[in-house]
Amino acid sequence: MTATSHTPLHTLIPMPRLRPVYLTLLLTLTACPGPKDAPRSGASTATGGTLVISAPGEPDNLMPPITTATAGQQVEELVFQRLASIGPGLNTVGDAGFIPDLARHWSWASDSLSIAFQLDSAARWHDGKPVRAADVVFSFALYKDPKTAAAAAAELANIDSVTARDSLTAVVWFRRRTPGQFFDAAMLVLVLPSHLLMTVDRSTLASAPFARAPVGSGPFRFVKWVSSQSLELAADTAPRRAQLDRVVFTVAPDPVTAYTRVATGEADLFESVRPDKVAEVMSNKQLRLLIAPALDYNYVGFNLVDPATGKPHPIFGDRRVRRALTMAIDRRSIVANIYDTLAVPARGPFTSAQASADTAIAVLPYSVDSANALLDAAGWKRGPDSLRRKNGKLLTFGMLLPTSSTPRVRAAVLLQEQFRRVGVDAKIESSDIGGFVGRMTARRFDVVIGAWSQDGGPANARDAWSSAAAAKGGNNFGAYRSAAFDTQLDSALAARSPAASHAHFAAAWRIIIDDAPAIWLAEPRHVMAINSRFVTTGMRPDAWWAGIAHWSIPSDKRIARDVAGAAR
Amino acid sequence: MRTLIQRVWQGIVVVAIVATATFILVRLAPGDPFAMAFENPGLTPALRAHWRAAYGLDGSIGEQYVRWIANLLRGDLGWSVSTSQPVAQAIGSALPNTLLLMSVALVLGFAIGMILGAVQAARHNHPADHALGTLTLIGSALPDFWLALVVLLAGAYWWRLFPVGGATDPLMPLTASVLSVALDRAKHLVLPVLTLVILIAATVARQQRAALLERLGADWVRTATAKGLSPMRAFRRHAWRTALGPVVSLGGLALPALVGGAVFVERVFAWPGMGRLAAGAISSRDYHLVVGCVMVGSVVVVLGSILADVLAQRLDPRTAQADADMSRSAA
Repeated sequence: MTATSHTPLHTLIPMPRLRPVYLTLLLTLTACPGPKDAPRSGASTATGGTLVISAPGEPDNLMPPITTATAGQQVEELVFQRLASIGPGLNTVGDAGFIPDLARHWSWASDSLSIAFQLDSAARWHDGKPVRAADVVFSFALYKDPKTAAAAAAELANIDSVTARDSLTAVVWFRRRTPGQFFDAAMLVLVLPSHLLMTVDRSTLASAPFARAPVGSGPFRFVKWVSSQSLELAADTAPRRAQLDRVVFTVAPDPVTAYTRVATGEADLFESVRPDKVAEVMSNKQLRLLIAPALDYNYVGFNLVDPATGKPHPIFGDRRVRRALTMAIDRRSIVANIYDTLAVPARGPFTSAQASADTAIAVLPYSVDSANALLDAAGWKRGPDSLRRKNGKLLTFGMLLPTSSTPRVRAAVLLQEQFRRVGVDAKIESSDIGGFVGRMTARRFDVVIGAWSQDGGPANARDAWSSAAAAKGGNNFGAYRSAAFDTQLDSALAARSPAASHAHFAAAWRIIIDDAPAIWLAEPRHVMAINSRFVTTGMRPDAWWAGIAHWSIPSDKRIARDVAGAAR
Repeated sequence: MRTLIQRVWQGIVVVAIVATATFILVRLAPGDPFAMAFENPGLTPALRAHWRAAYGLDGSIGEQYVRWIANLLRGDLGWSVSTSQPVAQAIGSALPNTLLLMSVALVLGFAIGMILGAVQAARHNHPADHALGTLTLIGSALPDFWLALVVLLAGAYWWRLFPVGGATDPLMPLTASVLSVALDRAKHLVLPVLTLVILIAATVARQQRAALLERLGADWVRTATAKGLSPMRAFRRHAWRTALGPVVSLGGLALPALVGGAVFVERVFAWPGMGRLAAGAISSRDYHLVVGCVMVGSVVVVLGSILADVLAQRLDPRTAQADADMSRSAA
């Protein structure tokens, strides 16, 4: 095979393909009804019903400031409340994109350095005590306390203090005005009961009994957690009752088992349907697919620093080589091969669902000829074995990836083949997740096939790709540094209007795409299988579970466990 | 008795060495307990370093070891980061499930395996022997995760006779009767037990058959038959009894599985036992939980081997004599 010949790579690895009829159906199924949509049948949708979620893992703990597992966050966001919730557009500039939650109203100070949140007077903790402004004050203090070591503490740095103006008014005071200050106040903190946590040692929050039996004020109250088996929540009565009676998470670490639970009707929802199961889900009359946008993206990151010497990397320190390697990759075929239609090629360090996304931005094109020309220009010449060398040194590197990620394992094989076509010898270095993270954080790699699961916050790109994050201890593991990118990103995060913010983000994306510190690979979507009896609401890209309180089951479609839930 | 005390001391030393080696090796492996939360850009390595310090996982391996020994002497196995509970509590909730699963599977597996092996030996070179030989060969060669998936698909998906996984029905009402709870447990046990029984019985049957065939050709069995004992009595009293030795040894070796569990079977059937707990602890680098699981496992290995030795001596006095001779010569 010559360097310029091109065989579609999805033909190299056999993959189950979706038939055209499914594609049409997929497009239909992607459009989920909004929160106010009517149920699909004419039957009553009075409260009632049980949602059983087949989950791959269980929470690490249920103490919001220190929870890191997604399973824990899912439960917490049903049990606790925020002051306000972000809308499906994920617009973090100002307060226009937010929906009242625990706070029913808010008012800005004239200098915009404080926001007074008026709490819902009917809000109650699940033990019956009223939710008060003192709880909000306590919660912010808890998150910000260094002893707590909350993941959100750094993002709360702009919040100077929180005070209680009266029992139902909490005032959040800021150090400076920023476009994201409302997001910081509303979204980063789940409000916790001060009367239950006041005396708990903040350095050992995980070991507090509350961490396994929380008391919140959200639409569902905690019922029980059987280790490694299940976790049950029940609808709480005040102030706004959830449509469903209960939500039960059942744990099955094996994906086949987790899916089989849903396929047999033992469970109602499985959140990680693999592409090869899509056709099966669609042929099962009990199930339907839910496809929601997500905030995750995969990338092939280059280490711009030589791990051995600490000097610029002999291969990836050269921008031309990085651009060439990017242009050598047919991302469209790789994404189609791995995900079929359930992902799109990523355009940059963002996903289409983010408010900061620029989905029309130009990316480096797939061009094997251009890649070859750039590599030649950079001094990497083909030898008799068709591989490239410079000063006698072979153009070879290792691609580090975790064995736990099937998409990345498959991508590595395809990438290896496509790199080979331009005379590059890429070796696959797979490792278990611990080893993968160990090498990545120690920056002992040439190329890493990584992924970022973003939380929808405005600063995700800065945390992962800015020069500040390139310093030791930061998350910019490939140590990409660009003052121009940093400037645009900072301007975007400081812009006062969504339009200006978007323009700066777009400029930042252009810079980083041109510099090619990574090959932006794929934006997978959330693909879920759900029992057909459920009427679901719109899915928020950062948290598909955020609307569960509004999901319902028409009364004529309820099964035994839906009725049993009401009787408990 | 003296040999037994010697074996117990040896066992204590073995457990200490195994625990120490695990303690060191698991820390030398790349990654740490907070590695799993790495794909959120908001969770910085600096924050993970803070957590490491908070959970006492900073400092040199030597410092951590001294802290761990001090805690161990107080009966504290440490804190499990991945399950957010004390290691003893995590093991305490998984152990009964594994004991239930493995004891049922081992008893049934050994009973069926021994009967199959005896039938094969009694019908040596007959079609029944060949058919069972083929089946046990296949059974002992099957990968456990594959067999578990097939049993899961057949029993829970195609025929829908039993629950897909777990140890109990998460929707079981709190007011359910004892009988309902027991029946629910039994239903959840069927598929994982069936998988394990197939695997265990196949191996045991092959061992039992080989041992019996060796004994059936022995002089004392021939003599017993020549003295007028019926073939069945000679088989049962002279051949089978002495052929139990290798199977008992196999039982001793299988005993650790009572607490170690069966990793793949527990994973496929979402059985909340020790195998799944240990596998999860290793993949999440939950240091204290890994060491705790290994310690419990090694204690049972030691106890199992001691028990197997004692039983083997009871069944075959020649073994006891040989051990006594060895002890004397060593002294």
